[in-house]
Amino acid sequence: MIGTVTVDARISDWVVQRVVRRVMGPLVPLTATVAALLVGAAMVWGFGGDPVEGYRAMFTGAFGGISEFADTTVKATPLLLVGVGICIAFRASVINIGGEGQIIAGALLSTVVVLALPDLHRGALLPLALIAGAVGGACMGFIPGVLKAYANVNEILSTIMLNIVAGYMMQYLLLGPMIDKEAVEAGNHIAQTKRLSPNSDLPILLGDTQMNLGIVIGAVVAIGAFFLLWRTSLGYEIRAVGGSKDASRYAGMKVERRIVQALTLSGMMSGLGGAVLVFSSVAHRLSVESGPAGFTQLAGFNGIVAALFGGLHPLWTIPAAILFGGLLVGANALQRAVQVATPLVVALSGLVVVFVVSSDRAVRWARHLGERFDIGASPEHDRTGSAASGGADAPTTPSGEGAEP
Amino acid sequence: MRMSTRRAKSFGLLAALLAIVLLAAACAGDDEEAVTEAPAPAPTPPAETEAPATDEAPETDDAPPPPPPAEPSGPLRVAIVAPSASNDLAFTQSIVDGVAALGETRELEVEVTDGTFIVEDAAVAIREYAESGFDLVIAHGSQYGGSLQEIAQDFPDTSFAWGTSNDTFGLANVFAYTAASDQGGYVLGSMAAALTETGVIGVVGPIEVGDAKLFVDGFVSGAGAQDASVDVNVVYTESFSDVAKAAETAEAHVSQGADVMTGTAQMVVGAVGVAQREGAAWFATQADQTELAPEIVVASQVYEWEVILSEIAAAIDRGVKGGESFTLTLANGGLNIAFNDAYGLSADIRAIGEDTVAGIIDGSINTMGEAAPAPSGPLRVAIVAPSASNDLAFTQSIVDGVAALGETRELEVEVTDGTFIVEDAAVAIREYAESGFDLVIAHGSQYGGSLQEIAQDFPDTSFAWGTSNDTFGLANVFAYTAASDQGGYVLGSMAAALTETGVIGVVGPIEVGDAKLFVDGFVSGAGAQDASVDVNVVYTESFSDVAKAAETAEAHVSQGADVMTGTAQMVVGAVGVAQREGAAWFATQADQTELAPEIVVASQVYEWEVILSEIAAAIDRGVKGGESFTLTLANGGLNIAFNDAYGLSADIRAIGEDTVAGIIDGSINTGS
Amino acid sequence: MTPSLAALDIATVEVFAQARSGWSGFFTLATLVVTVASAIRLAAAYLIAAVGESVGQRSGVLNLGVDGVMLLGAFGAYYTMLQTGQPWYGLLVGLGVGSVMGLVYAFITVTLHAEQGISGIGIYLFGLGFSDLLFRQLVGTPLPIRGFDGLFDSTVPEGRLDIEYPDLYNHSLVIYLAFLLVPAVTLLVNRTTFGLNIRAVGDTPQAADSLGVSVARTRYGAILIGNTLAGAAGAVLALETTGIFIQNMTNGMGFIAVALVYFGAWRPLGVLAGSLLFSLVTSAVLQWQTLGILSGAAAQLTAMAPAAVTIIALVVVTHRIGAPSALTRPFRRGAEH
Repeated sequence: MIGTVTVDARISDWVVQRVVRRVMGPLVPLTATVAALLVGAAMVWGFGGDPVEGYRAMFTGAFGGISEFADTTVKATPLLLVGVGICIAFRASVINIGGEGQIIAGALLSTVVVLALPDLHRGALLPLALIAGAVGGACMGFIPGVLKAYANVNEILSTIMLNIVAGYMMQYLLLGPMIDKEAVEAGNHIAQTKRLSPNSDLPILLGDTQMNLGIVIGAVVAIGAFFLLWRTSLGYEIRAVGGSKDASRYAGMKVERRIVQALTLSGMMSGLGGAVLVFSSVAHRLSVESGPAGFTQLAGFNGIVAALFGGLHPLWTIPAAILFGGLLVGANALQRAVQVATPLVVALSGLVVVFVVSSDRAVRWARHLGERFDIGASPEHDRTGSAASGGADAPTTPSGEGAEP
Repeated sequence: MRMSTRRAKSFGLLAALLAIVLLAAACAGDDEEAVTEAPAPAPTPPAETEAPATDEAPETDDAPPPPPPAEPSGPLRVAIVAPSASNDLAFTQSIVDGVAALGETRELEVEVTDGTFIVEDAAVAIREYAESGFDLVIAHGSQYGGSLQEIAQDFPDTSFAWGTSNDTFGLANVFAYTAASDQGGYVLGSMAAALTETGVIGVVGPIEVGDAKLFVDGFVSGAGAQDASVDVNVVYTESFSDVAKAAETAEAHVSQGADVMTGTAQMVVGAVGVAQREGAAWFATQADQTELAPEIVVASQVYEWEVILSEIAAAIDRGVKGGESFTLTLANGGLNIAFNDAYGLSADIRAIGEDTVAGIIDGSINTMGEAAPAPSGPLRVAIVAPSASNDLAFTQSIVDGVAALGETRELEVEVTDGTFIVEDAAVAIREYAESGFDLVIAHGSQYGGSLQEIAQDFPDTSFAWGTSNDTFGLANVFAYTAASDQGGYVLGSMAAALTETGVIGVVGPIEVGDAKLFVDGFVSGAGAQDASVDVNVVYTESFSDVAKAAETAEAHVSQGADVMTGTAQMVVGAVGVAQREGAAWFATQADQTELAPEIVVASQVYEWEVILSEIAAAIDRGVKGGESFTLTLANGGLNIAFNDAYGLSADIRAIGEDTVAGIIDGSINTGS
Repeated sequence: MTPSLAALDIATVEVFAQARSGWSGFFTLATLVVTVASAIRLAAAYLIAAVGESVGQRSGVLNLGVDGVMLLGAFGAYYTMLQTGQPWYGLLVGLGVGSVMGLVYAFITVTLHAEQGISGIGIYLFGLGFSDLLFRQLVGTPLPIRGFDGLFDSTVPEGRLDIEYPDLYNHSLVIYLAFLLVPAVTLLVNRTTFGLNIRAVGDTPQAADSLGVSVARTRYGAILIGNTLAGAAGAVLALETTGIFIQNMTNGMGFIAVALVYFGAWRPLGVLAGSLLFSLVTSAVLQWQTLGILSGAAAQLTAMAPAAVTIIALVVVTHRIGAPSALTRPFRRGAEH
């Protein structure tokens, strides 16, 4: 990554500035979170549970101690990696819903590498495997990128469809070429690889916990993405394309190429997330026995939520991913502790998302309808805030009447 | 996806702040005061425990107000926690009625929490009631004993009562109560034997345990004493709640010639309805069921819990908070035979009943032995499973299996279901092991890899995983699997005999594990029965896609299939289509008869309790793992459940039964 | 033998008995007909949901929560059917549930200007969890709908159509209604004032606003239509396709429906083409497996065919119609875009 040493001060300065300036800001979404949890409490209570007991379990399960926090970081890692990729894509006005497929592609390619070179030294195998994961994800992002840039195929369509393709590909590979053949001979026909070489295990960072190198990788990648987006000309052009294709084209930028690059980079992050998922998994192997989502943990979708919570900013995505990861970990703890039905927890996370995303405007809406608010001081960042405007893939042709495909 | 930067920042900041605050709160835990700003929705008491592993931290005494001293003058505050509905005309209603009856003789303040079949929910309720100063908290269900034993120690000033049991745990604030329901059963049985004209009596029991077993055993013994030539057919439906199955059982009894029936537990209402339709006489227990079917209820054994409740209340008035055990009997008036005068019972038979009551009271008649001795302590079992616990398939089979095991010994069960995310399951497995469960069941072959790693960290905990036969060579891992090819073979042979079009459709999920085993066995069985039959196998490549399963069934039908089977939880979609198209259906993993009673011919049912009891026994012996178990037809772990409502010809049923016998004696090899 | 087995069409069976080997078995008129019929049934739920979503998107609002609304609609319809035994009530409740979710979503995205992508995912998660929760609390084990066959029987006038292949048109009434949505919505969007307003606020909300069209009200209406149809799609899935409810029974169908809107370039006819293509490939693959043409590894690989073919089809058939320009952009009067 680029010049990490020299910019430490600038980052901290940047953080402090905003913390001071926006002390009051977070109170609104915080209230919204509490409101969502209150609605959830009513649901828990309505279905015969004890909300206080449940929330206590949820909270302690996610943040109640070092080991619990470690679990949260493990859960947050794929969200963070996918989220960082989402930041890049959405900044280029490309809506990448293909995180699931890109995770799978990264996981598959990195697993193939480890299966092929099991005896390689740890210092070489793990980096190689992680790179393979990034490459796999990048390929999976490249396809919809090319389709969008050169064949006018909307990326929402292609990424949703490619998720399906990747899922079945994973099933095919893990039931056939990549299956644990020794286990099959022993009569255990399970759709998974054998235990991968220990040289590919992601090292545990904290003694008895599950916290592993993955969260550090995620943080480094997030910082790298920040520099890419705001400190390189490629990042500038990606954001410019996201702001306005036409203006960028007038300015001499290669719009198509930037779109492909944004989706490829985005896929690369998700693919890296897939590799981290494999090598940090408790089982140290790739399995599709629970279906593709059993492996991806739906991080391809939840990562979008994390990125948007983080304001499509790679650095803010770090705490956002940890928070959302904590919500997921706590939710599982809640089910174990109170034996409340799991779906309650899924519904609850949906409520939190909806409430938080609505909260900011809700307050303004209540206060002064239609009044314009000041926009933040830093003009450069704000320009890019226009983010993705989905599917604006053609010059704004007024849709003609009766123009059927 | 437009987002103004201002909000973007506030979200990021919110996330950062929350994370920091939460982390601070987490670290503050033991040595500081609770979080200064306390944003958490569930503020923890300041002097909380420091051990994060035990979430169920006992409340320190400062939070709840001390319960008011029990004054005989004021109203007695009584709380009831019961497993089924308080209007169930059975077990729960009996205690609610009993407390109501007590309320007529003294002033009471009563609160009821019913329907808490989840033991942990009940534990919460019991604790809540104790905290809010109730004088007497009744835990009405033997499954609550384990929790009560823990909770009662934290509230020495509160009286607890629990039943049905005679074990007060040696605690000075716990009363135990039970009912000698074998006595009433014996009385009713003797009358039933005198009443039957066909010489056949049907008994519909829930699960062979506790109060129900006591009643049924007494009934059988009474009937035998009255007339040894009478056949008493006892069927346990293995469920306290399955009304449909109870009804089916009653139908089966009638078809076997029963003209007199009895039954116990709350699901029995289904059987009463059938008895009424068929005009069979009915003997009731636990509560007076006359109002259910005035035409056929002959007599009911009624539990008058107020007899012992008034003794408990009197003891509390004296300042005695527990340590005593009470039993309802005919002699102390706690059991009462209520005759239904609307039923024209002949005076002779009524006299037989009344004489038997007198004989039991004066000791001249001995009904039975005692209740089974209480086991030393509950076995703590945790289940982690991939799909919903009510999926009528893979996950439900293990949950039902553990529930069945729980009827023969005391268990404390926790379930984490729907964890299709393998890493989440790994966290759950680890948590359960850390919180001291005796046996952690990882019910899904996808969990094996994680289990192998985790089990090594917890050598004192037993793990079980399936379906697999691989214990990883670890001394604390049991492996279990089902020879589902056996049942598949049986069902396949019947299917080949049943089809008229010569085409059979199979709807599979992904070609792997248990599903592959079943399908391969099915195909091979069909081929062995009739090689000319086409068996079309379609794997939908998904365990969850119901619509695709439905459409696969449509495709089979369009290719002429008139008989189908399928496995995994998405198969419910295919069953619906089969029903619409009138195709016969063979089920596996769980009894799917209730899904489509018209078309389900037979189901291969997994009885995991067969191997779970072996595992539990091994744990009792001190063996923590290293063994592998397989459900087979021979060991009773696989069971072909025929749907009697489906008019299967005797020939084909015989084919199925012969195949079962052939597989058991080894003359048939299911391998393809 | 049970009477139910005799009910099968023996004539149909004979057709297959003689031509049941491999590809030649597939390329018989009879098999092709049932394949198409199967595709028509499969397409219905996609079609309803995607046509609805296209209306919402034409007004400039993306809804990624279609799948969640479908699940809620499916449960509402299923539970109503269980309780009342009236399939039309079930369908009505499915529509009602969809409308309520539409109001909620419109309030969030139009009134509160919330991020559409993220709030859609929130709605999805809520629907996924809440439908399962209600199911567990109110029903428990998956009880089948009684009399699932012929819930929405339709009587096609005999003699009017080619009687030789009744599978082609012998569908229940709701399937016909689903396909009738295509001309209905096309007319609505292209030939009514409301439709004109929808297109106006989707492409140039500022201009529409200055002409006195209420952007908020129009978007509310469009979202309401979209979500109501999503609820209906769920109801059809529960009442017509499967006759049962289990958790997450849509299995991502709502997301595919969103993708099909892009396939159809926001035109109902295009959405119809996409739904039929996706479903036809699905049903053909199923038929091939049934006929034994595909098995094992080949079957696993071809399971991805519907998704892959949909992408390829769009690459081959390039089209130039763009998205509504204001899609995903909240409207604030006076804002610059």
